[in-house]
Amino acid sequence: MKKLIGAICCAAGLMFVGAAHADNKTLVIGMGSADAGKLDPHIASTTPDKGLLQYIFNGLVRLKPGQISPATIEPDLAESWAADPSGLEWTFHIRQGVQCHWGYGEFTAEDAAYSLKRAANKATSSYSNDFSSIASADPVDKYTLKITLKHPVAGFLGYVANINGGNMVCKKAAEEMGDGFSKKPIGTGPFMFAEYQPQQFVRLVANKQYFRGAPQLDEIMYRYIPSDSSRDLAFQSGELDMIYGKQDQSWVDRTKQLPGVKVVAMEPGELSTLFLNITRKPLDDIRVREAIAYAIDRKAIVAFKGAGSSREAVSVVPSGYLGTDEHAPLFPYDPVKAKQLLTEAGYPDGVTIKTIHTTLTGMETFIEAVQAQLKKSGINLDIQLVEHATYHSQIRKDLSPLVHYQAARFPIADVYLTQFYDSASIVGTPTAVTNFSHCNVADADIRAARGETDPVKQKEDWTRAQTEIIKAVCGVPVYEQLQLWAWKDTLDLGYDLKGSLNLAPPVTENTHFTQ
Amino acid sequence: MAAFLTRRIALAFVTLFSVLTLVFVIMRILPGDPAQLILGDQASREAIDALRVRLGLDQPIPTQYGRFLVHALRGDWGVSMVSGQSVLDEVLNVLPWTIELSLVSLALGVALGVPLGVWAAVRRNRWVDYAIRLASLAGLSFPAFVLAIILLFVFAIQLRWFPVISAHKGSFHAWTQSMALPALSLGLNAAAYITRITRSAVLEALSEDYIRTALAKGVPQRVVIWRHALGNAAIPIITVSGLYLSTLIGNSVLTEIVFSRPGLGKLIVGALSQRDYTLLEGMMVIYTFAVVLVNLLSDLAYGFADPRVTFG
Repeated sequence: MKKLIGAICCAAGLMFVGAAHADNKTLVIGMGSADAGKLDPHIASTTPDKGLLQYIFNGLVRLKPGQISPATIEPDLAESWAADPSGLEWTFHIRQGVQCHWGYGEFTAEDAAYSLKRAANKATSSYSNDFSSIASADPVDKYTLKITLKHPVAGFLGYVANINGGNMVCKKAAEEMGDGFSKKPIGTGPFMFAEYQPQQFVRLVANKQYFRGAPQLDEIMYRYIPSDSSRDLAFQSGELDMIYGKQDQSWVDRTKQLPGVKVVAMEPGELSTLFLNITRKPLDDIRVREAIAYAIDRKAIVAFKGAGSSREAVSVVPSGYLGTDEHAPLFPYDPVKAKQLLTEAGYPDGVTIKTIHTTLTGMETFIEAVQAQLKKSGINLDIQLVEHATYHSQIRKDLSPLVHYQAARFPIADVYLTQFYDSASIVGTPTAVTNFSHCNVADADIRAARGETDPVKQKEDWTRAQTEIIKAVCGVPVYEQLQLWAWKDTLDLGYDLKGSLNLAPPVTENTHFTQ
Repeated sequence: MAAFLTRRIALAFVTLFSVLTLVFVIMRILPGDPAQLILGDQASREAIDALRVRLGLDQPIPTQYGRFLVHALRGDWGVSMVSGQSVLDEVLNVLPWTIELSLVSLALGVALGVPLGVWAAVRRNRWVDYAIRLASLAGLSFPAFVLAIILLFVFAIQLRWFPVISAHKGSFHAWTQSMALPALSLGLNAAAYITRITRSAVLEALSEDYIRTALAKGVPQRVVIWRHALGNAAIPIITVSGLYLSTLIGNSVLTEIVFSRPGLGKLIVGALSQRDYTLLEGMMVIYTFAVVLVNLLSDLAYGFADPRVTFG
């Protein structure tokens, strides 16, 4: 027996050699998911996939790295562009000499036209809706692209920027590979797809021919590590340089204690809204909906969620979007008024409202806090917890009278208002997106703003739409959750980070380690 | 032997078929739409419907089932709805990781559990026995993932002997480095189980007449214990170890997640949360097949361990 123990100890001793550490030319990122999804920029819709694809692709234009405001839009694959006075005809001048990855040739106006058509095709794109207003996109010559719109579009440049359907794919590669494109995405960005190991990582290598100059990093290892604790431990042991954080304040407080670490809460904030189905009893009575709005204490929710990683909602559109009414007339916290309204509506003994809710941790703690707040005003929230995929399916079948949804969108008020409050988007209809409340009170203003070319009038339309929605209590916006990340402080991103619409910090040609 | 095998294989087919049908039905009853999950929350109804047609989900369920069976009989498990890769490839990509971890853990469990169990039996009701019984009870009641986190914290963070991301391949050194902690975390649990079974099986054997006879004849105690007692106690130990191997394959999911290793467990959880019908169905066949195969092999192993067993 002693011999056996001795042998085991000896064998173990042979293995005791320090863990390998990455060199300072490889950036190792730890992402909070079990595996890659479809690595096609026109299909990818999850944080892990979007975060990775941004390193591989460019748009015609881009938001300045680290910024999320459409006001920072600057040239990307297009060097310059112009629109005619009607706002219907757009001409883009494509940068010359840009090379597609892995020898797929020069990126030209033909690739750009192909890419836009691909993004507009519902068979190949999750974002086909965004491009329904494009009448045609055709190359005029090798470096000139002409886009004709069916009607003017608010913030059109946002749709050809480097997110979602605006990412430019290389025609030859996409046509050659067909469905296989999502296994080997080919773009023009600073990093090229090199290797995928299922459930482990995607490895990207530097694109030495990148048109803004060769990246300073040689490689990005994008590792899939679903367990929050394992990601934290691997970051602590130095195996990871950058990690996707657990989305709560206690993680921020804990991670800040580590030496040599930078913890960041970045934009965009995902707005948590309680959507109230205005057609269902008892929510069809506006007094009941108002009671709910009065019963929610936004300040207390932010204190609960952590001031460093969340903030109060300002309107039914997230703060900072083009067109957000930053001083929208949201209902103040007034539990007495809430009770009074319920009594008037005929519920002096309280009322019960059902919600089907996901078990996703961050969202679940929120709805429990809301439940406690509503209870004080005599509103019983009956929470039916289901697993995340079930939640997504059931709320779209109109089965939940109150829907809690958390989302960020392209930062133009039109996108949020259209998807959540235009009656065309009501769930259960053929054109459904995510209008869970059956809201139809602001259609005229939302649609007017969409086609308005005068920015002042457009802003007025948007403000009116938000006021109408708040007054009708289609949704009760509560708080915004920022995106939490941490990385070694020896990593210099090479730009100022405020946020990223691709939900992970951009890695550019300038990103490098200082030691 | 041939008749025995034929019967067992026929039974295995019935089991496979029942499991397949059950999985097919449960998946279709479960709410959640694969097309919607693939396209994400900004996709329009139109795009989702178009994808449903492409995936064949617009067909009536009996039609889907019929097609599924025909494909299954041809050995065609289709392609994963989410990744677009063939189900077989998806599984084969990660299967070696799971098999490797399960086998090493089981070997560790047997290497630790059998000697400890014998030792405890021989020293029955002495302090060694108490200590081993207590340790195995603790090992059984301790959740594997908690042990996993503790192992990581001590050996990867404090002592820095092993990496946290236990999925390195290449050199033998890299392999042992990344195998050590996951195998230890599963292996200790297996060892606890095997210790208890070995102890009771050996105790029972030790009380038999032939043991007393052997000792009376002057056979050395070492030989009596390791050959006579353990030899006769082998059957229950093999049965339990065999059964435990299928449990290990199934239970490895938490270990895979905590140690960031690829594996079947992770694949199945991912497929379930994405409602990847085809992938799940394919995996269920493989799981069922593995359990059936392991049971068959341990039945056959009886024959080697005990000459009295015949396959009639």
